[in-house]
Amino acid sequence: MIRSTARGLDTRLRIAPVVREALNHVFPDHWSFMLGEIALYSFVILVASGLFLAMFYNGSAAQVVYHGSYHPLDGVKMSAAYQSLLNLSFDVPAGLLMRQMHHWAADIFIAAIVVHQARIFFTAAYRRPREINWVVGMTLLLLALANGYFGYSMCGDLLSGAGLRIGYAILLSLPVIGPWMTFIFLGGTVPADTVIPRLYAWHIFLVPMLLGVLLVVHLAIIWRQYHTNFPGPGRSQTSIVGARLWPSYTLKSIGLFLLLLGILAALGGLVQIDPVWIYGPYDPVSIIPGAQPDWYLGWIEGAMRLFPGVNLHLGSYLIPEVFFPAVLFPGLLIVVLYLYPFLEKAFTRDHGSYNVLRIPSQYPFNTALGCAVFSCLILLEFAGADDVLVMASSGSVVALRLLFRVLFFVVPIAVGVVVYTLCWLARRKHAEAHLLAEGAPQPR
Amino acid sequence: MSEEGGQKGSWLWAGGVLAWKLARSLARPVARVLMGRRIQPIGEIKRVGEAARPGRVSDAVMLGLEATALTQALRDTFEEIHGPEAEETSERENDRNLDAERGVNVEKREKWGTALVVFWLALAFAGGIAFLFTYWTGGNNLILGSMLGVFFGCFGIALVVWSHSLVPHTEATEPRAPLAAPTPKFQSAMGDFTRGYHQIQRRNLLKWASVAGAGMVAAVFISFLRSMGRSPEASLYTRVWKQGQRLMKFDGTPVTVDALQPGSTMIVFPEGSEDTETAQTVLLRVRPELLRLPASRSTWAPGGYLAYSRVCTHAGCSVGMYERTSHLLMCPCHQSTFDVLIGAQPTGGPAARALPQLPLYADDRGFLRAGGGFTEPPGPGFWGMP
Amino acid sequence: MSWAGTSLSVLFSILFASQIAHAQQTASAGSPDGKAIFEQRCAKCHGEYGQGISAVVSIAGPSLQAEHNRGRVITAVETGPKHMPSFIRTLSVPEIRAVASYVTDDIAVISLHGGNIGEGGELFRVYCAPCHRTDVRGGALAFVGANAPDISRKSPALVAGAIRWGPGGMPAFPSSVINDQQLASIVEYIRYVQRPASPGGTPMNWYGPVAEGFAAWVIVFILVILTTWIEKGGKG
Repeated sequence: MIRSTARGLDTRLRIAPVVREALNHVFPDHWSFMLGEIALYSFVILVASGLFLAMFYNGSAAQVVYHGSYHPLDGVKMSAAYQSLLNLSFDVPAGLLMRQMHHWAADIFIAAIVVHQARIFFTAAYRRPREINWVVGMTLLLLALANGYFGYSMCGDLLSGAGLRIGYAILLSLPVIGPWMTFIFLGGTVPADTVIPRLYAWHIFLVPMLLGVLLVVHLAIIWRQYHTNFPGPGRSQTSIVGARLWPSYTLKSIGLFLLLLGILAALGGLVQIDPVWIYGPYDPVSIIPGAQPDWYLGWIEGAMRLFPGVNLHLGSYLIPEVFFPAVLFPGLLIVVLYLYPFLEKAFTRDHGSYNVLRIPSQYPFNTALGCAVFSCLILLEFAGADDVLVMASSGSVVALRLLFRVLFFVVPIAVGVVVYTLCWLARRKHAEAHLLAEGAPQPR
Repeated sequence: MSEEGGQKGSWLWAGGVLAWKLARSLARPVARVLMGRRIQPIGEIKRVGEAARPGRVSDAVMLGLEATALTQALRDTFEEIHGPEAEETSERENDRNLDAERGVNVEKREKWGTALVVFWLALAFAGGIAFLFTYWTGGNNLILGSMLGVFFGCFGIALVVWSHSLVPHTEATEPRAPLAAPTPKFQSAMGDFTRGYHQIQRRNLLKWASVAGAGMVAAVFISFLRSMGRSPEASLYTRVWKQGQRLMKFDGTPVTVDALQPGSTMIVFPEGSEDTETAQTVLLRVRPELLRLPASRSTWAPGGYLAYSRVCTHAGCSVGMYERTSHLLMCPCHQSTFDVLIGAQPTGGPAARALPQLPLYADDRGFLRAGGGFTEPPGPGFWGMP
Repeated sequence: MSWAGTSLSVLFSILFASQIAHAQQTASAGSPDGKAIFEQRCAKCHGEYGQGISAVVSIAGPSLQAEHNRGRVITAVETGPKHMPSFIRTLSVPEIRAVASYVTDDIAVISLHGGNIGEGGELFRVYCAPCHRTDVRGGALAFVGANAPDISRKSPALVAGAIRWGPGGMPAFPSSVINDQQLASIVEYIRYVQRPASPGGTPMNWYGPVAEGFAAWVIVFILVILTTWIEKGGKG
């Protein structure tokens, strides 16, 4: 039966040569090449669970009065969007499971992208000819961040409403165009009635469409260029060594997908995430502490808390204090990340094409820089959670904040220096071992 | 009755078989007439390695398609352009057999592997059945999620164990085709493009048409974007309160001078205003002797009553926390702190500007009224802030 | 020796007699006056009308104006919770009962009936959640050295009294800000949220997106370790 179907397809589409090439495609057999797949499969799960949620979610900010099965909110005024979520969580069979799976999948999606990008960065897989894919990948990361923010802000609850107010303030702080941007994109003062329907359209249509298209481009480029390889026997600029797609890699990949799906289902059932019924519906007069964004924006939150109250007066114009930690700092970081392959090429004057990866310890500067930036971002994530940390440990926010301000400078520099030294030592040992083994000096 | 039905059925059956045989015998001549060629028998067109499959109707139809002159002509042209399609041997012949190299006992591994795979699959299906049972009996979220997790997770483990134990371990080496096309191919592609370009361009018209066209499209696009909202308007610059407006509580009753004791707070709004977002104001009362307001505001706090905008000047959250012993208003979002005794100046945290203050006075009927608007537009700062 | 014994026994009998006399005296005065006992022993810390005294001064006690439970009052008087002294030796059982009745009948003027949980939740999120958090497990108050406390285990009476009285740094909310019916609503909501339903699974102590982020990273590390296992198959 398989044969006749295949023959039927082939006579209509001439796919046999393509499929054959695909089945024989070689994938490197190192585990670090599966990290991108974790992100890919998380995206698939997001789309699937999102389809289910979209059946029930009502993206309207119209005010309604709730009379549903969640008693503590009976008679409370709320947006229709929030009400649809309460309905989904309490009255739709497996609705809460789907909602939680979706939210957990989003958190894990972005974490997996970060881990995957870290692997690319530290092994220098962004070098020629893969700079295009690096740029595509960075764009995927930013789109994922945006979609996550839109997604949890769509709920119309008090926690994400606080996040929207902060987002409004950040957009407003842009010099010259700030007020225009807020009025055009957010419809004025937030959360205005126009925002939730817009977030809905962006979150389920615009951004996923861009994500999908760019994902296809990302994968097509990898397919065409073949993966890189870690250095080893048989692995060179002109040959790739690994396992074939069919049957071994397919089984492993689908196994990973199912494991991920299983873990997400278990999380969705056993660990509560984003309990919107406890936060309550958004109301401009209410507010809650511990109003952190989801973890992937926590570094911006930390920067906003640590940056002192300093604004800039240019004549009669004001650049408010949120601009620097929330726009300038992330903006610079993102631009540098985008341009990193090109900056490295300019800096090292190495325009060569590489299909073999670089062991991180062999290029100490890159590794040290990456570790320093990572440690800085992790520190900012903790700084963004300082009020929660204080509650869990009974300290003082003032002292903690001062400590973080000092550590913001000390930790990245210290980490950078330590990592650089370790890499340099490793390189020297490696070079010495080579010398001993081969009796001749090796090029760097 | 069933006998009658059976009889009818058997007639239908016979009729069907007859029609089938007729169709089969007619298929070839019909195809020949329609496509005008002798139809080649199966044996001549199959690829190496495929078994012959005699006498199936589907094959006859497909043969008809394949054997047409048109298809043949297409094949010829394709081979002309791309070179002959040689018979292909399996590329996998050259893969390293790691099991043989390491001397692994493949049979033993397969035996254990099969047992493990069956075990995990059984566990998976147990979880799946538990999920179905829980779902259809109106189950709770914890069980639904964990059983679904068991199903997918164990299935995944089964597949991974399958790949470890039941698949021969090979290592393949493939040459990487150079990415750059060989120079002649690249030149010919560029040549085709340039030739076509030269055919259509007229001096610089093409260049300018493209540039101007792109610019115009961008302008059109931006115009559509503009439709998404309005221009920043007076609402950004409003001071919200008007001279003489009464302070109103949530429930719509006006605030009187005996509403609060020192150490209490409440939230108030301008009389007649619907806007809760920017108009929200915090009214507090402190002991008058503690006040240290600037001289220009010395009359703004009758009886120790103070009113400030409740929208944080840092990032716009509601400044909802008040600590009465230190007289500090705090914003819960980033912990900006404002000292109410000195005009809500920021004393800690990332806020840079004081909360706008509302001047107050008590009228002769004991109601609290605003003596003007806020000192600044409430909320976070922006480029053209007055 | 006999001299010592006699004087000791005389001493004991005098003491014993005085105790009996004292007891007889109180017994003979009829049922004890709860109001008098309250004013004498309790008002110093709990205020003349049981409205509570703020902790800014050295002697402080919570408001009792919502305490309708006699049994709880009796237990508190006998055991002396937290900073409160125990009166089990200084007051007799009838006296304790009398003062408890006085508290629940005359002092407790805040009724906790007639609340609407929905409205209570709305008011809670406006006035209480900013400091105490949506899960009432307390919030960090920066720059003042104290944190808004965890009220997940406080009795409704204590909570209601605290709202009116404003202990320590907490502002007081008199009836012009939150009337009695609204107060009852808020207390009803707080009673629910002290032990809220968590149908989605473990709430991770209600720490919010921070805890969720930690959990996500733990899971991603587990996934990375799983990929090392998945790929190891090729190595035998």
